[in-house]
Amino acid sequence: MDDKTEKDILQDIAAREYEHGFVTDVEQEFIPKGLDEDIIRLISAKKDEPEWLLEFRLEAFRRWRKMKMPSWAHLDIPEIDFQDIIYYAAPKKDSDRPKEIDPELEATFEKLGIPINERAALAGVAVDAVFDSVSVTTTFRKALSDKGIIFCSFSEAVREHPDLVRKYLASVVPIGDNFYSALNSAVFSDGSFCYIPKGVRCPMELSSYFRINAKGTGQFERTLIVADEGSYVSYMEGCTAPMRDENQLHAAVVEIVVEKDAEVKYSTVQNWYPGDAEGKGGIFNFVTKRGICKGSGSHLSWTQVETGSAITWKYPSTILKGDNSSSEFYSVAVTNNFQQADTGTKMIHIGKNTRSRIVSKGISAGHSQNSYRGLVKMLPGAENARNFSQCDSLLIGDRCGAHTFPDIQNASRTAVVEHEATTSRISEEQLFYCNQRGIDPEEAVGLIVNGYAREVLSKLPMEFAVEAQKLLSVSLEGSVG
Amino acid sequence: MHNTFSIHEGGACSMVIILDGSGRRILRSGASEDGAVNGSLDFDRVVLRKDARINLVYIIMPETRADVDLAVELDGEGAEALVSGIYLCRGEDRVQIDMDIRHNVPHCISRQLFKGLAGGSARVGFYGKITVAQDAQKTEAYQENHSIILSDAAKVDTKPQLEIYADDVKCSHGATVGRLDEEEQFYMRSRGIPEDEAKVLQMLSFLSPVLDNVDDPDIREEISAAVDSAVRNL
Repeated sequence: MDDKTEKDILQDIAAREYEHGFVTDVEQEFIPKGLDEDIIRLISAKKDEPEWLLEFRLEAFRRWRKMKMPSWAHLDIPEIDFQDIIYYAAPKKDSDRPKEIDPELEATFEKLGIPINERAALAGVAVDAVFDSVSVTTTFRKALSDKGIIFCSFSEAVREHPDLVRKYLASVVPIGDNFYSALNSAVFSDGSFCYIPKGVRCPMELSSYFRINAKGTGQFERTLIVADEGSYVSYMEGCTAPMRDENQLHAAVVEIVVEKDAEVKYSTVQNWYPGDAEGKGGIFNFVTKRGICKGSGSHLSWTQVETGSAITWKYPSTILKGDNSSSEFYSVAVTNNFQQADTGTKMIHIGKNTRSRIVSKGISAGHSQNSYRGLVKMLPGAENARNFSQCDSLLIGDRCGAHTFPDIQNASRTAVVEHEATTSRISEEQLFYCNQRGIDPEEAVGLIVNGYAREVLSKLPMEFAVEAQKLLSVSLEGSVG
Repeated sequence: MHNTFSIHEGGACSMVIILDGSGRRILRSGASEDGAVNGSLDFDRVVLRKDARINLVYIIMPETRADVDLAVELDGEGAEALVSGIYLCRGEDRVQIDMDIRHNVPHCISRQLFKGLAGGSARVGFYGKITVAQDAQKTEAYQENHSIILSDAAKVDTKPQLEIYADDVKCSHGATVGRLDEEEQFYMRSRGIPEDEAKVLQMLSFLSPVLDNVDDPDIREEISAAVDSAVRNL
């Protein structure tokens, strides 16, 4: 390889900015910094919430106060001052046009390529977009409600479908589950709610889009998906944030309930601002995602592409309670520069003949640290349960780290658990082969990485797959050398 | 504090460590010349200098509460560590194996292979960590842990861990916890081998790759015989 070209590429990339790093200039409404019971009451009042939800928040807050930040992850987390965060920020409503979306906001989502208007019907995706703390709009309302599908912002669900929300909220991730989920339960602002009735196959991909815009704020959204008997839904989630020198906190909770014979496919492309090349700024992404395969024959599939965030702490998990239920976890996690990721999954097998499959592809470059952490647990009643896990790590450069921390617990005589992990790097032969055929080093890395992650990318809905492939190449640009 | 056992430059050492109801016994073999090694045989830490080699085989017999804790430091280039073991558990046996393999310098090789059977209401825990330091390039580190659960009350937990800070390395780990394959049993039974005998053959063949690592033929024969009768009584 020509040294000069490599250097040029590196410089070129160093100068390149995070594509989604713009700030939208909208008038925003904030509440004071800090967190105490009054703030929680204020958030709850702003959202006009019923008493039970306020109680829920306060209970969570009381528990959270007694909890400590978890320190077991292979992460170096700077101290977070939870009193220095604004827990609620919302774009102010433009009183002249109360029923329309702020044009500035619309432009923001336009820039991000979110089909928020009905004219985006072509895209065929129903979107719930969350901007800072509130949900801005939900598209395709009518088409969905004709089928009895409820897809709306969380606040709206609390107003319109309180029984459903009350029944399922915190049924998968209890209030005191962990530090960040407790914090989320106390202060969550908005999010998406989705209910697919019995036997309904959702005709389009549902999608929520999260964006942090306001400075000094955190984002705490809550997603609840319920798939009733025999239903099917494919749900996608995307995230971005502006470039800032400070670290911003994102602590979301996602709960998924899958009833008998239902199927849920949950895909994430996480592209929060990762910080600059020196590791300054970026989002702390501390997320709790968990689903339960409640009924027999139910299926839950997680697919995630993680390229953003300064620090990622995320373990989408499945509780396989129903007999013959199954779950999959497909993940690509890319870290570059000074990013840190500690991510993986948990598969808890309770029911008979439950099956799970884990495919995790980690890619680390620059000075980043990338860990896979996973738990596969077979309870004594999990007869004939089966798990297969494959965790591969790809290292690009000699200053990064790739780690694998699986935990396998088997207490069932008839269950079989298999785990394998490998660590390797892009070989010079592979690069040479590409160069020889006129593919430049940069493109070659993109090609090889995409091939390496193909098994996961192919599981993404088409709308996401293209974006994800592009993201992978962009995230790794400048890492060869 | 660690009890360290060191192998000097170019030295080599083979040991079989047997843990059973009566305690811990070490059988040494191979080319460990005087002066090539030093330290107590009651070690829980092994340090390998340049081109040093060690081959450790742990045999954990039934009726044992064993806690094996070993750190291996590969401190000189060209060092090679082979650590393997079997565990045969029944009744109330408790076996915990903690392996901490540290590749501190480039060009070293480590291989781990632990296999075992868990019957009765035995509890087996395996924690195996491989750490490859920054700049310890050209490292090769492999680890495998396979367990078979024989009874409903037995439980096996395994945590194979890889921590890698260098890029030009070949590292892998594999772990399985499963059961005796019924198709294999059917194959043997359809050829006139009784079920119990078929299971014994399965278990012995499962364990044999570890026994093959015992390089002294006399010791290997002695241990194979002991393992054979232990497996029949599991």
